[in-house]
Amino acid sequence: MNQLTLTEAATAIARRETTATALLESCLAAIDAHEHQVNATIWIDREGALQAAEAADHATATGQPLGPLHGVPLAHKDMYYQAGRVSTCGSAIRAGWTAPRTATVLDRLHAAGSVTFAGLNMAEFAQNPTGHNRHHGDCHNPWNLPYITGGSSSGSGAAVAARFTYAALGSDTGGSIRLPASACGVTGLKPTQTRVSRAGVMPLSFSMDNVGPLARTAQDCARLMSVIAGPDPQDPTAARNPVPDYEAALTGTLAGQRIGLVTNPALVGTSPEITAAIEAATRVLTARGATVAPIALPLMDAVSAYVAVVSRAEAAAIHARWMRDRPHDYAIHLSGRIYPGYAIPASYYIEALSARGPILRAFCTEVFATVDILALPTIPTPLPTLAETDIDANAGPRGEFGGDPAVLPRFMAVSANTRPFNYLGLPAISLPCGFDANACPIGLQLVARPFGEPRLLQAADAYQRDTDWHARLPPLDQRYRPRAP
Amino acid sequence: MPEPTDFLAATEAYTEAWHGIPAPNAPARILAAELHDVIRAFEAQRGRLQFEDEPASFEAALQDCKDGL
Repeated sequence: MNQLTLTEAATAIARRETTATALLESCLAAIDAHEHQVNATIWIDREGALQAAEAADHATATGQPLGPLHGVPLAHKDMYYQAGRVSTCGSAIRAGWTAPRTATVLDRLHAAGSVTFAGLNMAEFAQNPTGHNRHHGDCHNPWNLPYITGGSSSGSGAAVAARFTYAALGSDTGGSIRLPASACGVTGLKPTQTRVSRAGVMPLSFSMDNVGPLARTAQDCARLMSVIAGPDPQDPTAARNPVPDYEAALTGTLAGQRIGLVTNPALVGTSPEITAAIEAATRVLTARGATVAPIALPLMDAVSAYVAVVSRAEAAAIHARWMRDRPHDYAIHLSGRIYPGYAIPASYYIEALSARGPILRAFCTEVFATVDILALPTIPTPLPTLAETDIDANAGPRGEFGGDPAVLPRFMAVSANTRPFNYLGLPAISLPCGFDANACPIGLQLVARPFGEPRLLQAADAYQRDTDWHARLPPLDQRYRPRAP
Repeated sequence: MPEPTDFLAATEAYTEAWHGIPAPNAPARILAAELHDVIRAFEAQRGRLQFEDEPASFEAALQDCKDGL
């Protein structure tokens, strides 16, 4: 039952071929079987979810109008607030913090009929690209358990891959939807900045935070985007642009689409299998009617200079109170990353924000005059293990750093190909396109103009019609046992 | 620009004075020292872009550059 995609599950309920209760029980059975290996959840509300599923089944049985996600069980990164429920944000600091309101996106998913049954593991305060978590335990890659899941939406990627849930919300400030989507072999969409409301969602960087879906297919992501996107009186930064019918864009044809295969040395794959997988993926897109040509992205030095300033300064401001009063309640890798933000002058921060509009205009003018979609690896290097990127494990009892000096750069390199598109505010999707030498998934990242989500979903869906990477199941019968938190 | 060791000491003193936040651990000091590189990258952009004095120029750019599909 949990092998269905989200859209298949919703259709099966609407046709009375299954029930919300049966789907929920299927998800819970998968969790019971494999959570001890993957560690993808922080909380599970079995009783509340069962009541909601039974209510959904009653509505189906009595012929009531059904929403596009009616009865579908979903679990989300534990930073989407629900009034009256603890939202840990993956931290110890918020371990007992009860949210005063419900996130707009959750209200919309519930109004569409979905049943929220769990809060998913995540990087502490959504601030690492690997999935390490000192407080709730590291999340493990379902494809190869010692390897990273990608972060910060680690539980979202792992839970979708392990069939714990039909889809999950993640958040993306520097790659946090696309990285776990890539590492876990699922499909993840970072929307255009401003496309989706962030009201009731834990902030990390007000300028670059995004809400988006991780699911098994592009079609699933399209369904979820149709529900969550759009203006919101609770979030004045949300764009007022009309929400398109994302599923209607999934035509299967890519005739006339121009794909730019990114050639910047800093953005191409660093191993033969990654390069081969990306090139093979573009051939699939070509067979669907697209043309492919190499392209060197301009302005990457400027983007790289400014993105580091904006996200660091904003994260430092958001965490100042706790960094002052409770610094040792953070993991070492997190307080270490937040700290430099306090030294960034306000004039640098404002200048970096000021440059964002002109850089976006110049980038779009130059790049999208010749191509419609950019293609590059989501993660350019073979996936590292949790141990190879574990900063805390390499630090001593007083925070001294005496371990492997390669750990820190390895950790920072994971998000090299995703961060630039957060500064540019462009929509980007990651979809599975192969496996590396360690049997870990490889992700293809596609990027389009602002509000080009329909184009990205169309391309990703066309690709998935001709490939089966997204349909494969992780081998969760491995004997490896994760470390205790 | 000061030498890296002087730069780190100055950064720590500045952060403590302005924010009351000392470096919590060694990775914090390593990454604070690397701000040296952030400054170098930032300064390399000097003169390449005119400072924008319009509010919300980024949001306007998103709209002006939007996809027409």
